[in-house]
Amino acid sequence: MGLDRRGFVKIVVGGVAGTLFTPVIWQSLDDVSIWSQNWPWIPRLNKGEVKSKAALSKLCPSGCAVKVKTVGGLPFAVAGNAANPMSKGGVCPVCAAGAQLMYSPARVQSPMKKVGEGKFEAIKWEDAEALLVEKLTALKGQDGKIAAISGDETGTANEVISALLAGLGNSGTYMMPGEKFVAEKGVKLMGGSGQPGFDIAGADLVLMIGADALDSWGATVANQKAFAATRPTGGVATAKFVYAGPVLNSSAAVSDKFLPVPPTATAAFALGLANQLISAGAVSSAPDFAEYKALAAKYTAEEVEKATGLKPETMKELAAMIKAAKAPLVIAGASFGQGAGALDFVAGASLNVLLGRVGSGMTLLPAAPKAIASSSVSEKDAASFLANVATGKAAVGALLVYEANPAYALPQAGDMAKALGNIAFKVSFSTYMDETAALCDLILPAPHPYERFDDAMNPYGVAKPTYLAGKPVVKKPVADCKDPVDVLLGAAGKLGLSLGFETYADVIKAKAAALGADFDALTAGGIWNGEAKGASLNLGASALAKAAPAKADDKTLALAPVCKLAYGSATLATPPANLLTVRDTELSGKDLFVQMNAATAKKVGVAEGAKVKLSAGSGEMKARVHLNEGVAPGTVAVLLGFGRSAWDEFTKGKGDNVYKILTVSDEAGTGLKVWAGSTVTVAKV
Amino acid sequence: MEEKKQCKGCGGALPFVIGFVAAVIAGWVLFPNLLYSKKVQPIRFSHKIHQEQGMECSGCHAFRDDGSYAGLPNNDKCMECHSDVVGSDPAEKLYVEEYAKKGKEVPWLIYQYQPDNVIFSHKAHESFECKSCHLELEKSDTPPVYYENRLSGYSKQTMKMWQCERCHAENGVSNACHVCHK
Repeated sequence: MGLDRRGFVKIVVGGVAGTLFTPVIWQSLDDVSIWSQNWPWIPRLNKGEVKSKAALSKLCPSGCAVKVKTVGGLPFAVAGNAANPMSKGGVCPVCAAGAQLMYSPARVQSPMKKVGEGKFEAIKWEDAEALLVEKLTALKGQDGKIAAISGDETGTANEVISALLAGLGNSGTYMMPGEKFVAEKGVKLMGGSGQPGFDIAGADLVLMIGADALDSWGATVANQKAFAATRPTGGVATAKFVYAGPVLNSSAAVSDKFLPVPPTATAAFALGLANQLISAGAVSSAPDFAEYKALAAKYTAEEVEKATGLKPETMKELAAMIKAAKAPLVIAGASFGQGAGALDFVAGASLNVLLGRVGSGMTLLPAAPKAIASSSVSEKDAASFLANVATGKAAVGALLVYEANPAYALPQAGDMAKALGNIAFKVSFSTYMDETAALCDLILPAPHPYERFDDAMNPYGVAKPTYLAGKPVVKKPVADCKDPVDVLLGAAGKLGLSLGFETYADVIKAKAAALGADFDALTAGGIWNGEAKGASLNLGASALAKAAPAKADDKTLALAPVCKLAYGSATLATPPANLLTVRDTELSGKDLFVQMNAATAKKVGVAEGAKVKLSAGSGEMKARVHLNEGVAPGTVAVLLGFGRSAWDEFTKGKGDNVYKILTVSDEAGTGLKVWAGSTVTVAKV
Repeated sequence: MEEKKQCKGCGGALPFVIGFVAAVIAGWVLFPNLLYSKKVQPIRFSHKIHQEQGMECSGCHAFRDDGSYAGLPNNDKCMECHSDVVGSDPAEKLYVEEYAKKGKEVPWLIYQYQPDNVIFSHKAHESFECKSCHLELEKSDTPPVYYENRLSGYSKQTMKMWQCERCHAENGVSNACHVCHK
């Protein structure tokens, strides 16, 4: 029997009919619908036990004691550590993004060697470490040929770096700018020694002169918790907060009073206030009180009004508020955490002396014991060092950059980046591909805070000696990275130097032991506190007498960089999640907005939305204007943290970098490099 | 006329029946073989041996303190006994050398793996016997073959939504979206 066309059709029809009685069509449709949801870019959950582990997150300058939530061992969320007195359950906006930043596309995935302009190739750790040792061996014993820049103000890593350099016959460990360095200089000018501390929790009136203590100055989370404690829900506030500074920032926004003071006039404001207090009967037993009184008398209400724009009655009201307070406290600093002069600090701190609050409100912390005997505390600043490199005064052959980004976060950043080009061999120990790493010859990726041991000794601002330490949260880093200190200790061994330790964990254990702290308790989220030393300070009158008066200039505006911690720090670009918090009046598309009040805008002939060019020194930046009556007169406020040329797709190329137009000058009387009082010209484009 | 004769020769309904039967056989026998690829577990884990040692199911498959279900044990648990080779079974040697000592978790194939958008609470289903949903493995010496759906990528045993819904309906439990999808 043959099969003709009709018979074939019958078989096919029978086959189709039969298929309907099988799972072929129905299951295929179901499975295809599931397949259509299996896109490779859909994030997959890590399964496993959910745990909460204590960690020290040093993504922000002061460091946060946090609890990292993990699932199956991998971090996915962060919360404050309620058991830690520094945190009390709070976390700063940068450290809150810690889990996200661990998986950031900006992370350096393995050791990288520069093979051309902007080009790198991945190399093995053995080769990378051998290259480091080879370069250091060639320069060993030649003082000034090897230098290091550290951006970590609190870590014992600095002891390892300075001891290594000392062993190599060099002393060039330089610190990125911060308040601590300047404040310690200021304390010396007042006849004391040590790092100053501020007991915000114990004060019933806090006057912040410049210092943005409730957002970006000092131990911000502890400061915020102290503030919150004075504002019981449904109750009466138990302390008053006053912010005197160039911009109505986060601290000013929640304070009882905001006094707009240009960044060039903070010392004049403080001395004007001293004059008011002395006129109201304030006296001090400090030996230089007479000299101080005479100096303050020059800062009459009219003079202060000329320098700051504040009415005499405003200053009188403030003086009366302070007089009425039982435990007033004055905190002085730059509004963006760096670049202020020691005299700005002294002018503010002298008010604490005048009010008899040294030892109670303002404290002095004793020097912390060392873990490595051959180490030294660096008092050299990176800005001066790179300025010397630029002019050829410093001829450095090798530079180690630890947790710092000098190509981005130093004044006249463009010149600083060029200066780095004068150094033959540069090594970056960075977790992320930042602007400095992109210029280096070798990048040795550092672990994220959840992947490493680290510590924090006396974060600036704490009232009592404070020590925190952390250990890794994860078993294995997500990138092929190594702890920079372990790398340096290994290199030291190969260079024939013995620093007494093989790992950073051992160094931190030794530091804890030297303090009498329990390492295990610290890494479990605990804290060590010592006692502040008793001390008396003078009023710093002889130093203040040398302070240069603020110059009025019709052609320029005072530049007030504004630091919002949520937008990152000197070492960290804005976390991608936090970009969502940037306002339309701060950044629109790729345009950064600079802010000034309407009177200032009229003076320079610009209006809302105008495109402008800000220039100072050899740097310039472009932006648009936003009118904001919260900016002090004669001042232009510019947000920090934008204008990134490295990092990742989320942060790169947005806005411009204000560091480019900060200009450095020598502070009269101290010789310190300062840039908090920078001025700029603003021109329409 | 000639055409009609030829038509009679094509067998009436027979070709239809042949096609029908062939499709049914192919659909129920060949199709599943084509649809699923066969995989074996990375380690030949014997539940039988572990049970003979006196171990309880809950020794490894336990609820955590927060009520979540641990599912399969990880290296921490396995290495309580197998940090080193303790027996003569080559599967154990393979586990110790390739996973335990290298700190690598065993990529077990999960017979009932659910997608991430399903939140299945074992605690809420505690009253059911394990074998109501899972394969009976407690006496197996060699883990059963894992059938992976070539289209969906899921296991043959992965329970589909209609199965969840039917059971919920039969037991008077809500079938609202949020019950399973958070």
